[in-house]
Amino acid sequence: MANESSASQSSPSESPRVEALRAKIALELPNVDFVLGYGRGFDPLHATPVTVRTEKDLSRLIFDPTCVQNLATSLYGLRGKRLGVVVKGCDSRSVIQLLQERLWERENLVIFGLPCEGVLDLAKLRATLDIASVRSASFTGSPRDGLLRLNLSGEGGERVRDIETKGLLADKCLRCQHPNPLVYDHMIGPEVEPQGREDEYADLHALEKLSTQERFDFWKRQMSRCIRCYACRNACPLCVCKHVCLADSREPHWLSAEATLQEKWLFQVMHALHLAGRCTECGECQRSCPMGIPILLLKRMMNRELKELFNYQAGVSLDAVPPLHTFLMEEDRIKDRGLLW
Amino acid sequence: MNASNPYIPELATIVETFDETPDVKTFRVVLQDPTKMAAFRFEPGQVAQLSVFGTGESTFVICSPPTRMEYLQFSVMRVGELTHRLHTLKAGDPIGLRAPLGNHFPYRDMQGKDIVFVGGGLGMAPLRTLLLFMLDNRADYGNITLIYGGRTPEHLCFKDELKDWAARGDMRVELTVDNPGTDWQGRTGVVPAVLTELAVSPENAVAVTCGPPIMIRFTLEALGKLGFTDEQIVTTLERRMKCGIGLCGRCNIGEKFVCVDGPVFTQAQLAGLPQEF
Amino acid sequence: MVARFLKETDLAAITAAWARDYRVLAPVREGSSIVYRVFSQDMHPFLGRPPTSSAKEALLPQTENLFTYKYRKDQDDLTRTEVFLSEALPPEPTLILGPRPCDARGRHLLDRVFLERGVIDPQYKAHRAATLFVSVACTSMQNTCFCHWTGGAMDDETGSDVLLHPLALESASGFVAKAVTPAGEKLLANLPEATSEMLAKLDERKAQAPAPDNAPALAGIAESFLAVFDDLDFWTDQSARCLSCGVCTYLCPTCSCFNITDENHGMSGRRLRTWDTCMSALYTLEGSGHNPRISRAHRLRNRVGHKFSYHPREFPEAAPSSGQSPSGLEFSCTGCGRCIRSCPVAVDIRQIVLDVLAKAKETAEAKE
Repeated sequence: MANESSASQSSPSESPRVEALRAKIALELPNVDFVLGYGRGFDPLHATPVTVRTEKDLSRLIFDPTCVQNLATSLYGLRGKRLGVVVKGCDSRSVIQLLQERLWERENLVIFGLPCEGVLDLAKLRATLDIASVRSASFTGSPRDGLLRLNLSGEGGERVRDIETKGLLADKCLRCQHPNPLVYDHMIGPEVEPQGREDEYADLHALEKLSTQERFDFWKRQMSRCIRCYACRNACPLCVCKHVCLADSREPHWLSAEATLQEKWLFQVMHALHLAGRCTECGECQRSCPMGIPILLLKRMMNRELKELFNYQAGVSLDAVPPLHTFLMEEDRIKDRGLLW
Repeated sequence: MNASNPYIPELATIVETFDETPDVKTFRVVLQDPTKMAAFRFEPGQVAQLSVFGTGESTFVICSPPTRMEYLQFSVMRVGELTHRLHTLKAGDPIGLRAPLGNHFPYRDMQGKDIVFVGGGLGMAPLRTLLLFMLDNRADYGNITLIYGGRTPEHLCFKDELKDWAARGDMRVELTVDNPGTDWQGRTGVVPAVLTELAVSPENAVAVTCGPPIMIRFTLEALGKLGFTDEQIVTTLERRMKCGIGLCGRCNIGEKFVCVDGPVFTQAQLAGLPQEF
Repeated sequence: MVARFLKETDLAAITAAWARDYRVLAPVREGSSIVYRVFSQDMHPFLGRPPTSSAKEALLPQTENLFTYKYRKDQDDLTRTEVFLSEALPPEPTLILGPRPCDARGRHLLDRVFLERGVIDPQYKAHRAATLFVSVACTSMQNTCFCHWTGGAMDDETGSDVLLHPLALESASGFVAKAVTPAGEKLLANLPEATSEMLAKLDERKAQAPAPDNAPALAGIAESFLAVFDDLDFWTDQSARCLSCGVCTYLCPTCSCFNITDENHGMSGRRLRTWDTCMSALYTLEGSGHNPRISRAHRLRNRVGHKFSYHPREFPEAAPSSGQSPSGLEFSCTGCGRCIRSCPVAVDIRQIVLDVLAKAKETAEAKE
């Protein structure tokens, strides 16, 4: 049966799942300083993180395919508090990674898990449509095979457009193996079947087919748009150095203030290396980039190597030890025994 | 200041350096062009941007008075990238100078009044320029009192001058330290306590205070209890600055810019600003 | 000045003609963004939507040299060095194609800072004198647009040298091109005059454009902001989602804060001016470790305060240039909406401004 929800309003009856989320959060409010969840942003296609402190704030909560942000990003900056956080399956992997690295304490976190069938990639929509002319939007059916109905305003008045949501889902959703949160205190709503394709790294293959020069030209073009706003860094849930980042350091002086390709590129390389074996591919770096630079490719490249070398995927098991956090005399997949001394 | 481009420093040469404390070094500087040096004018309390080309610029108060123009003096604490580099320089080395910047102490309004200087640590630097200016125009001012404190005797700046001032007979000098060590003959305790103990009279007086934020806070409290009004208290603010000419944005407090509207403010002026110090 | 007509199909040719005399920055689509690139013959300028970045990069580049320096060792005494400074090169004559009226108004607000505040910034002045704005009027408002809050309008000419008014005709689509300055007039000299029929069509199109929602009453915002300044809980809630990145400030047509740093290479180097952002904790971090804006709450408060309180208080006599500001105040914001549109977490400065007004009212009423 079609599950219709309107993203333009937040009437309490809109979705039983949001009702259940509000009820669970209400229960936990006395136990936490506040809960991080999603509210409606400035238009029907945008969600925005909200803090729920009292029951009065509960009505602001929403959950739908516009809830793109990874709320785990805010956690590290709020250490010392006792928090609730709303997570999708992918976001829960960031939480696991933070817990593994002891960047947060499990006992100070109440996790509200929401099984997720996918979120929108507004960049995909923006490539074909002036999304800032959207006046209202509603979803029909599951994001995996549903419709997004948009009312657009512009020259010549209002128009209605129906678009299949599947083509608008973030790439990470199309290959998602963990739609259900892997760590939670409260699971809200029924779990969903993973339907993501196996990750075949088609994006990386396409890039690798290019000659070295073509690939270099590709990155030069992409990186030349960078405005060095560091949204990619600040939106990353695991990039915890923030204001003591290498990128800003004058002593040692790694990066210059010049807006050259070398500087922009070097930062992205450092970012990718620092996330090797830690990155869960939540995609916040790329989604946050105002200039649409496909920087997730770099992290995916690192992750593929990590998978090949160590058979490791970040953020799927609380008990796992990230391969670059440990040392084994003999790695299963690294054939260097004969060279050890 | 360079008349055509305020970002381009005048070239200057360090003529002398010496240590004040374990982490404060004093630099005496002259402009390389003697004509420009002869024409250089500033007011007590104004600041300069010192450049070490290749490292950057930072803001320092000119702590010599405009009445003594054989050199411009700066006392610099080693805290960051620029000051570390500055501390490695020696006499003869070239540096850049953009000055004078900012406003100055309202010394004309202070004429005929008793002056109470309350300083802590390197906060003595801006006080020194005004104090020396007043001593060079001694007849224009009433009683002058200096209350100055440091962490240890070693951390007091301008040690030789402190002795000279105490010996002058036309001003009062009260020194105090937090940790006296073994040879210290003076007071022990924090500056605001000395201020309270001396019961300095607010009548026809102005207090000028500069030092670490915590000292300022308790000094303001002590001055208030003694009966000083906000108009009678003058202080200087420190902010991160880059351009020094009110354009780069970072030193704003509300619509005021510390680099041009300051660094000298009366307490009454500060009370009228958004409280973001 | 006479209105002229530029056919859409002639846009590339006239841009190429301009490019003989100017470095032309033209907006092009790249993936999901629209960025300014130096025009070349193989480029297709895209004027259909506001560019992702603002036009301020033409006047205040992301980074530029303030001067260069060179050390030279004294050959007779190697412990002694001399230093030599050279001024930065003058900017190239530049024409930026495709700014919107909100961007062009940004030029006027940058003037306030760099030419009218006190010390004249010679480098900005040189860029300003060397740069022409060929702007494109808007035909509709995006849902992040609020130029009418700040005195702007879809066809506001402030700050433009030429304003292109899009016009779809049955015969040909294109632009009614209106010169605003004599320099703009020269750019259009070879274009045919617009017919009276075209101008009538343009008026008709403008009349049919949906009117924007009423702008809120902002006359009291400068003081309301100061009234809620000390309410740190309010600002903490407003800023809880903020990532402290530089998107809002770097895309803003009026944000003009900059950093100055040296880049050294051996015995020579450069002093650079680079965009800086008040959203970063490093922006106000002092050498001593003290930071007057230690939290995101402090920093967001400063950005909102600067635009809607400090600026109108600093320039109280400045009548909003187009005379349409419903508040009578000039803000350091042109309502372009980029800070909203591109914010990764959808922070909406309009909502913050409205919340400030509401909070100030609530606080004042509670006191009575």
